[in-house]
Amino acid sequence: MAFTRANNRKVSLTFQINGQTRQVETYASVRLADVLREELGLTGTKVSCGIGRCGACAVLMDGKVVNSCLLMAFQATNVELQTIEGITASAENGVDPVQQAFLEEGGFQCGYCTPGMVVAAKALLNENQAPSDEEMAEALSGNLCRCTGYAGIIRAVRKAAKGKQSDVEGPNSSA
Amino acid sequence: MEKRTIRHDGIPKVTGSLHYLTDLTFRDTLYGKILRSPYPHARILSIHTEKAKQLPGVKAVLTYADVPAVNGYGIIVPDHPVFCETHVRYVGDAVAAVAAVSVEVATAALLLIEVEYEELPVLDSPEKALEPQAIKLRPEGNILHIAHHQKGDIGQGFANAAAIVEETYELPRQMHAYMETEGGTVVPEADGGITVYMGTQHGFKDRFQLARILGIPEEHIRIISSPMGGSFGGKDELNLQPYAALLALKTRRPVKIHHTRMESVRAGLKRHPMKITVRTGADQMGRLTAHHVEIIADTGPYTTLGPAILDFAVEHAVGPYRIPHVLVNGKSVFTNNANAGEFRGFGGNQITFALEGQMDRLADKLGMCPVELRRRNLRLADDLGPLEQRIVPTNGARLVLERLAETTMREHTTSSRKRVGTGFALTMHGGGLGYGRLDHAGGRLCLTKEGKIEAAFGFEEAGQGILTVIETMMLKAFQCGRSDLDIQIGDTDRVPPTGSTTASRGTSMVWTAIERLKKPFTKALLEQAMRATGIAEKQLQLGVGGVYEQGTLAIDYKSLAHFSEMPLCLETSFDFPTSPDPTEGGHYLYTFAAVKAKVEVDRITGRVQVLDLKQAVAAGPVVNELGYRGQIEGGGIMALGYALMEEAIMEQGKYATENFDTYMIPSIKDVPFDMETEAIETLEQGDCYGPRGVGEIGTVAVAPAIAKAIHQACGCWVAKLPVSPERLLEAMEEREEDSWHSHVLTTEK
Repeated sequence: MAFTRANNRKVSLTFQINGQTRQVETYASVRLADVLREELGLTGTKVSCGIGRCGACAVLMDGKVVNSCLLMAFQATNVELQTIEGITASAENGVDPVQQAFLEEGGFQCGYCTPGMVVAAKALLNENQAPSDEEMAEALSGNLCRCTGYAGIIRAVRKAAKGKQSDVEGPNSSA
Repeated sequence: MEKRTIRHDGIPKVTGSLHYLTDLTFRDTLYGKILRSPYPHARILSIHTEKAKQLPGVKAVLTYADVPAVNGYGIIVPDHPVFCETHVRYVGDAVAAVAAVSVEVATAALLLIEVEYEELPVLDSPEKALEPQAIKLRPEGNILHIAHHQKGDIGQGFANAAAIVEETYELPRQMHAYMETEGGTVVPEADGGITVYMGTQHGFKDRFQLARILGIPEEHIRIISSPMGGSFGGKDELNLQPYAALLALKTRRPVKIHHTRMESVRAGLKRHPMKITVRTGADQMGRLTAHHVEIIADTGPYTTLGPAILDFAVEHAVGPYRIPHVLVNGKSVFTNNANAGEFRGFGGNQITFALEGQMDRLADKLGMCPVELRRRNLRLADDLGPLEQRIVPTNGARLVLERLAETTMREHTTSSRKRVGTGFALTMHGGGLGYGRLDHAGGRLCLTKEGKIEAAFGFEEAGQGILTVIETMMLKAFQCGRSDLDIQIGDTDRVPPTGSTTASRGTSMVWTAIERLKKPFTKALLEQAMRATGIAEKQLQLGVGGVYEQGTLAIDYKSLAHFSEMPLCLETSFDFPTSPDPTEGGHYLYTFAAVKAKVEVDRITGRVQVLDLKQAVAAGPVVNELGYRGQIEGGGIMALGYALMEEAIMEQGKYATENFDTYMIPSIKDVPFDMETEAIETLEQGDCYGPRGVGEIGTVAVAPAIAKAIHQACGCWVAKLPVSPERLLEAMEEREEDSWHSHVLTTEK
């Protein structure tokens, strides 16, 4: 299959990504993860297992978490994509509250799973501002981390959730 | 613990802007792929690469014939062939490599390389390899290394015993499973040299080995080795560097290779599977009398650090206990299985599982509380080390034991089909490479022309947080600001050689270097400031942004740097401290940990859930709270995986588990949500060695604590890891319901 791809003609694909329109000339059977990393230079999205088990390549597609290693690039052409770079860019102070919580609570070590983990945590907290432990476990069970033992990640998501709640309840809530 | 600080490399990591070495791509880059053996053991009859070379887009195809100098690598013995010439000895063995314009073309080219093999008998276990008629994997035979330790007379020791327990413990092949698989780019330079952008734990050692393979001087090789997306010991040996380097020199273009997970699994190092048979005796009072240990390690086909790992297991066979009569024999055996090498804990995990298992079984037999049995046998602060060598006095064993013995575990509600139990375990773990092994360290401080205080160390950031350790210690030593610092690590052109980033040595070596440089560097800065400002040296002090007089900035660092033509630089060089007693591989500095684990065993499914995990660690002062805790929690969960789910299964030398769909590592669903780490920061009076590293200690004693907790929950002894639900169900069925409960004494409140 790899061989035939090398002989295939390229196609033009258009993506709505991090609020921008990006056009890419690539092979029809290329994975979204590869387009992000290699064609668009968005290397915040990582590939670790390549089979959708570790979540390092997680991105948001219309606000839902997807593993970009499992999607063909053409499947992501008529949707809104957001990567870790997009989350960072749309943060008010350069760092999203979820990212800030990861910093403060030791939610990362080597950092390789972190973009995917932050993406998954964002998706969870967007849907559910005060997740229970069970809901947190459910939402993050597709993201593997080999360094932290998840303890720092759990503390970070709890903290971010709390911050989120107080935002919503406070007078200056943007929600 | 010190105040929390956000990690030095934190913002780039959480924002995704950090470029790992596998994220870099250079102009005109070619992509490399490696053809590896499909057979665990075979003779190579012929290799034909012509068809592959003719594929459009292929720029080079290399085999053994293209290696200019030594066709082998290995930190100690270069016996791991870069390319196999006559034999392949495991499924990860490399036969050829391709560079092409894309990954797809390179992958397609691999299919066009014709290799004719004659399959040979597969030695897929140490037992098979030790049979007298077994085929020899190496001319010198199938034993890599034998290690031995003896004291007293175990015959007499067992004669004095009131209770004796014997068990054989089986420990699995564990994968490092770092999230970033091996990879990076090698760029050819104009002078005929190369720059290597690939993660490793010892850049200078890579440089030395690559020079030996490529036949070019070391000075023409630059290794950039940080940051890494995890390593845990698995990236200490060369992996893809030789292939990318050979291809880059051949094609004169940058060559990038990045393993897929499956390639990483096949080619990468693993934790040594070990089978450990132990017989231990104790008298009526619970005092240990004799301990006889036989270890067999499956080391795979090549040396790597197999001998040192076996030595480490032999050394740690008695752990933190006083045992008068000891006999330990270890054998590391070549097989056609995965190449086994260093992995966080370095042989300590396997042997501690066996030792602590014995302590629990003895306590059970004597009807004694398992913590009390340990307490009665603990080493004293001034006792000799496990190999009868003098060590730095430490009361860590007692401190960690008492800290956790007092605590109770959190309450959990559970259903009637589940049973809950608690277990306790201890460990004593040596830091540094050990007596008789080159273990050089050092560091360098400079005031740069940009007005930064540059701290340069040859260590690598693998995720453990060495950058933050350096930053924290520098801020404390020089009272400067974070923005005054320029920390250089992981680049052989810019740092002094300070030894490997392994063996829990980084933190203590950075501390020692800064301690040694603190006074002279401060003095040098102040003297220069005095010359620049005319203010008496004793009225000056270092601070944020520059040198101060009475709280007022007298001169900033940039002006200070420009005051003199001569750059202000000081370097220090020393060795990791070792015992004055010549004990091959024996350690001098030890850390200690106690672990308490609470589990829930499902009687219907046989599944085990860890509900709570507490660790107490004695490793001297904590440098950075988040880093310290992170290492212990992360190590603890890596060990939870080792205990309950992780096994790289091989059948006749071939992997049955090639990715995270079959090789399971803990997910967030498998972990207790509130782990606790208690740091014991006190050192014995007169201890001048400062904080010890905690990179390994958190992984060592968790599995035995979990095994004992399972025993307390359901009465079944666990002697084989990982604990499989099937085996546990069988064991529970075999047992007569509740008969165990009457004679198990527990420490739980």
